Formats: sequence, structure tokens, C-alpha cells
Amino acid sequence: MKRVAICAVAQHKCESNIWYKRFQAMLLDVLEDIQAQTGMTFDEDTGVHTIVSNSDDVFDARTISDNGMTDVLGAHYREEEKAAQDGLNALGYAMSIILSGHADAVYVAGHSKESQSESRNMCTNLAYDPFYGRPMGLDYLNVAALQARAYAEKSKLTREQLAKVVVRARQWAARNPYANATAPVELGEVMYSPVLCDPIRTLHAYPVSDGAVGFLLASEERAKEFTDTPVWMTGFGNCMDSYFLGDRDPVSNFALKKAAERAYKMAGIKNIKKSANLVEVMDCYAYQQPMWLEGLGFCSDGKGGKFIDDHGPAQYNVNLSGGMLAGNPLIVGGLYRAAEIVLQLKGSAGEHQASDVTCGVAQSTTGGAGQFHTVAVFEA
Amino acid sequence: MAEYFGAAVADIFNTMERRFIPEGTKGVDTVIGYNVSGEGGGYWRVTIKDGTIKVEKLDAAPTGCTVVLNAKAETFVGVTLGKMDAGEALSSGNLKVDGDITVLITVLPKAFNKFTPIVKARTIVESMKERFRLDKAEGVTMKLGYDLAGEGGGKWTIAVKDKTCTLKEGLDSDCSVVLKMTAQTFVDLNTGKLDGATAFTSGQVKIDGDIGAAGNSAKLFAKFDTGEEKAKGEELISLKCLPTINQRYATGPVMGKWFAGLKEKKFYATRCPSCGRVQTPPREICADCRVRSEEFVEVGPNATVTIVDLVYYASPDPLTGKIRETPYAAVFMVMDGAGKDQSVSHFLNPKDFSRIKPGLKVRPVWAKERTGNYEDLLCFEIDD
Repeated sequence: MKRVAICAVAQHKCESNIWYKRFQAMLLDVLEDIQAQTGMTFDEDTGVHTIVSNSDDVFDARTISDNGMTDVLGAHYREEEKAAQDGLNALGYAMSIILSGHADAVYVAGHSKESQSESRNMCTNLAYDPFYGRPMGLDYLNVAALQARAYAEKSKLTREQLAKVVVRARQWAARNPYANATAPVELGEVMYSPVLCDPIRTLHAYPVSDGAVGFLLASEERAKEFTDTPVWMTGFGNCMDSYFLGDRDPVSNFALKKAAERAYKMAGIKNIKKSANLVEVMDCYAYQQPMWLEGLGFCSDGKGGKFIDDHGPAQYNVNLSGGMLAGNPLIVGGLYRAAEIVLQLKGSAGEHQASDVTCGVAQSTTGGAGQFHTVAVFEA
Repeated sequence: MAEYFGAAVADIFNTMERRFIPEGTKGVDTVIGYNVSGEGGGYWRVTIKDGTIKVEKLDAAPTGCTVVLNAKAETFVGVTLGKMDAGEALSSGNLKVDGDITVLITVLPKAFNKFTPIVKARTIVESMKERFRLDKAEGVTMKLGYDLAGEGGGKWTIAVKDKTCTLKEGLDSDCSVVLKMTAQTFVDLNTGKLDGATAFTSGQVKIDGDIGAAGNSAKLFAKFDTGEEKAKGEELISLKCLPTINQRYATGPVMGKWFAGLKEKKFYATRCPSCGRVQTPPREICADCRVRSEEFVEVGPNATVTIVDLVYYASPDPLTGKIRETPYAAVFMVMDGAGKDQSVSHFLNPKDFSRIKPGLKVRPVWAKERTGNYEDLLCFEIDD
């Protein structure tokens, strides 16, 4: 079977308020970074002529927002397609494009600027239907709190364990030059930070962030043109759960388990705990780290609390980037997860490089309380 | 009184207090002025404050209003009744709004039950031909007279013969029966507000001639449709709302250079280091060459027109919420010193609408106060 290589990755440093740059300029920085690393051109015959972008119209406050940024994606007069879901799916598109034989190299770039809107919560409120959901103020934060409460009950998650997740995230973030929230915090600070939406407190939630990420993918044949250290994207799967919260069991992890099953099957993985030694989960809220690790199969169902006390996250090299808790924006959260995995497997993660990592899993989610999950597998 | 679509302008204002929905205007505090021109028009002011309403007829143009609606009488009635499209009326200039247009969109639909024209006796009589029931007319020959007194009254003869129904003004001498009443009683009977038997026994209706024929005549005609049922009974509900999330768009150092330049009455473009083209407004990258453009050059202030379009439909300016005056001209032009195919657009001075054409030179018209935004430039005009 054909293999898909990730040749290079470029990350814009995440910040809480990039007021001084258009998002187009953020994407241009990422593009130039990839070009510097790989010599990528957009020559119609010999370069890359297929581009997958990733952005959200509501956060950009533009209809079909990709049309206003194709110049900085190299997409002028070339093929362009947009992934409006979380960006990990843009990598899935690119993978399909290469596996199908349609193109042998694809440039993927996504951005999200949460600071542009007056309120991130108002943007995610628009994800809900105007009749039932919006009037009662549903947004991704307060819907996550419902799930957090139910999950803490199910998996015996204590306030101390939740705080440990955040403290560890900040420790790793301090070594990641692309992370946003890098200041160290202590258990007590987390446990007594102001309540946003019980049981979620301020330090349990990812900070408002702006960022952009770029990837160059190629077929195995072409990869050597761009890099000596390709990372292989070997598995991909996603799964969509019910839109209405009332139709879902908030703690079953159904969609995540399905997405993982599909990705692992494609990668030929039977036992993920034996195969993978690197994991990046999209933990917008602290409770999600153990919960998604249960869904991915690294932690037994209902044992999330104990898993933290037993140093499960350290055992599997979970979120060495600092994770979402260190501040990546929604929409490109999955691209930042994949970027970290790729850097680690290439051996270019610098100060936070783990030793002997060979296989990594990236997970992302969009929709309130994990409606939609995406899982991708990467191998060195 | 002048009527349009079966209703007078005054009818709309006179029924406002009756149609008002106090629960729909909790917390609302707004004053809406109306300047309705043409026959039947006039000035009104409607004050809505936290579940209360005051409707005033004025002698002069309304002042102190949150918003003033200016319209021709026909347009005002047509739009109110839904017979004319509000968007088209705005575009054609027959309807103009001064002030906060969002009040009209957000407050009015919740404040009032729908206006339906006040039913006139003549309307009911004239609809009898349409309401004539062929299936009940077999073998019926009769002449039915109406003698309706008072405002809106008149005399009519309805003749039924050989399964046809004819209507004419005036009373024939050979009517089978003549019904005499006031026009208002007639309207009330036909709109279900007054019971027939009661009207007769109380003497409000006088029957001159064949009483049997009067009774038979009722079943010859279908019930008059007031249209009120339709107005009340909407089965499909749609929700109107205006979702708003304030945005702060960054211009960055490149797009921002354009706006900073406007403050000083200067125009800046970027020059591509590879192909050398000069682009306005400036941008971070030359899309053709895929290289960053970092060199700024000054262009203009005059420009050459490449293409012009006149826009007739009305649309609000997203930055201010105000409706632009229509028609307006969008003129595309190449600034002096910019690349051949690199045109920018702005408004054209309305005085030049008839003379503008591609190739002409235009110059900028600057605002007195300039703060670094789109409105620093009022428009361009022919440079002669």
C-alpha cells in the first residue's frame, strides 16, 4: 500500500491576542517556514499544486473565509479545498488526496484567531440551534461542564487529580516555544481559581488563543525531495455523534472509541498501549485529558482518576506540547496535536524531546462535549 | 379619504393601540416618527415604552425620534400590508429610513398584531359575485336590493337569474326584496360581529318585500372572508433575531499602512520584489510570485477609471448599520503609479454619474476629519 509522509511542519507561536497581525500574515509566516525547511514551490508542474486549508467562518467572521486568504496559502491559480471541521481532518483530506493518486504532494495550513471576536463563548453558542440551544445559552464551555460533572462521577476524578493535569501541562508548556500559557501553576492555585461553570474553573480551561499551523505531505516517492526524516501518517478515522445533547450518553466516549478503532485498524494496530508511546489529546478542559485517554484505549474505562495518580500520562508521553491547556485555539487544536507528534517522531522537539518514541496518536474534537472526534496515527 | 390596497394610511395608525402587544415590548424605549407623503398622508409619532404605547398625529414633521420612516402613502400601506416588498421600496427610494433601522426590524414585529384593512360595505357587496354559489342557484330568480345608510353606504341591486349573478349600483324598482340598514350594521353582519336574527328583531335591519326571499338569499353566497383568520393562524413559526458578536479586525502593518496613509492624504501600495508590480491596497504577499512584498511606494492621489457600476438596491453599511443612499456608484480605478491591472474601488461623487466612463481621470475628495478608516475618503470625482 502507498504510504503518506509528513515532510515538514511549521507552527506559529500561540498567543492570547495577536492584535498586530492579520491572520493572513500569520499564515504567511507558516508558509515561509515550510518553504525554508523543504524548498517547496508551487510550480504547476514540479511543485505543490493542491492545497487544503482549515479555518472557521464564524471565528473569522467571513463567509467562505478561505477565499480571503488563498494568496498566503500558495493557492493562487491552484487547487484549494477547505476543511471546516477541526484541522486534524484537513490532514485526513490531504492523506486521501495522496492515497487516491490525485496528487502526490499537498500543503495543509490552518489558522484560528479566537481573540478577534468579543467572546469565544458567543461564537460557540452559534453552534447550537436557534430554537432550543441558543436561547438557554449553550456553548462549548457550559456543555463541557455537564460532561465534566458526569465524568468525574463515573471515573472517580478528584479535584486534586484535575489540578495535577493542569500543573503538568504548564510544566511541559514551559519547554515548548510555541505554547501560549507557560507560567507554572501550583495545585492550590488551580483548585481555587475562579469558577467558570461548575465544576470547571478558570485554570481548568484553555486560554483564549490565536495560532496557525502548516504541514507539507507527500507520497513516499516524492517525500525525499523535501526531507530526510519523513514521519508516516499511517492511520486516520473520525466519528460523528448526535447533535442534540439529550440523544447522547455524555460519558460513553462512543464517537471517540469508533474514531480510534477506525484509525488503529487502518494503521494495523491491535493493541494501542503496546504500539504507541506518544499521545496528544485535545484537552480544552482538564477533565478531558483522562476522559479522552480512556476513549483512545490508553486508560481502562472508568479509571481516569486513578490513571493520573499512577502517572499514566507520563508513561505514555501524553501532551508533551503542554496540550490545549497550554493554549491552542479551537479549529486548529488538532493540527497543533499532530505537529507535536511529528516533531517528536522526527527528533526535532528540542527541549521537550522524548527519547525512543516511534509511534504517536493525535486526537481532536469539535462540537460541544466531544460530539465529533478525529484520531490519527503517525509513525517514525 | 385616499385608499391603497383597500386601506387608508390613517387606518393603520388608528388601529395601532388596539393591535399593540404590551408583552412584546418589555424594556423597549423608542420613538418612531412617520412622514407619509401624498394623498392621505401626514405626520405621526409613535412612542413605545416598556409595554405602553402612545400614537400622536402631528401637524409638522416629527422630531426627537429614534428613527424616522419616510414613505409615499401607497408605499407605506403596501409595505404594511405585505403587498409591496420593503427591500424594493428602500432601493427605489420610495421608503427611506433616518436613524436606527434596527428598531424597525427588532421592535415592530414584536409590538403589533398584523394590520388588516378595515372592511367596507362596498368591498363586501362587490365580493358577492365572487362568493355566488352556483350549486345553490339552480332555478333561482330574484332581485336583492341593498339600501345602506351612513358613511360608506350606498344602494345596490343584485340580480340572480339562470345561474348567473350581476351587480349594479342603485336600486331597481322591481326588487324581490330590499334590505335597509346602516353600512356599519351590514359590515358587522358580514364579519360575524352581529347575529342576523338579533339585527332583525332589534330593528337594525328592515326588510322591504318578500321576507322568504331575504332568507333564501343568505345561502346563495359563501361567507365573506375578512382575512383575519389567515392573519391569526400562522402554523409555521419563524424566529427573527439579529445575532451580534463584536469583532476587532486587525489590519496589521501592511493593510494598516493604507489607512495610516489616508490620515495624511497619501496612498500607499506594495511593490513585488520579484515581478515589480505595484498593488493597491497594499498586501503581505504577491500572489503571483508567492513572495512577501515589503517595499511601500506612494501612488496617486489621482487615478484612471477602469470600470463603474451603479447600485440601485439598498443595503446597510456593516460598519455603521446605516442604509447607503441609492443609487451609488462603485468606481474601480488604477491609482497613478500603480500597476495596470491593479485597480482599487471607492464611491463616485453622485454629480458625476452621467459623465463617468472608463479612461477618465478622477481625484479623491477627502473628509475634513481623518482617523485612518474607510470614511477618510468621501469619494472620487472627475478631475476637470
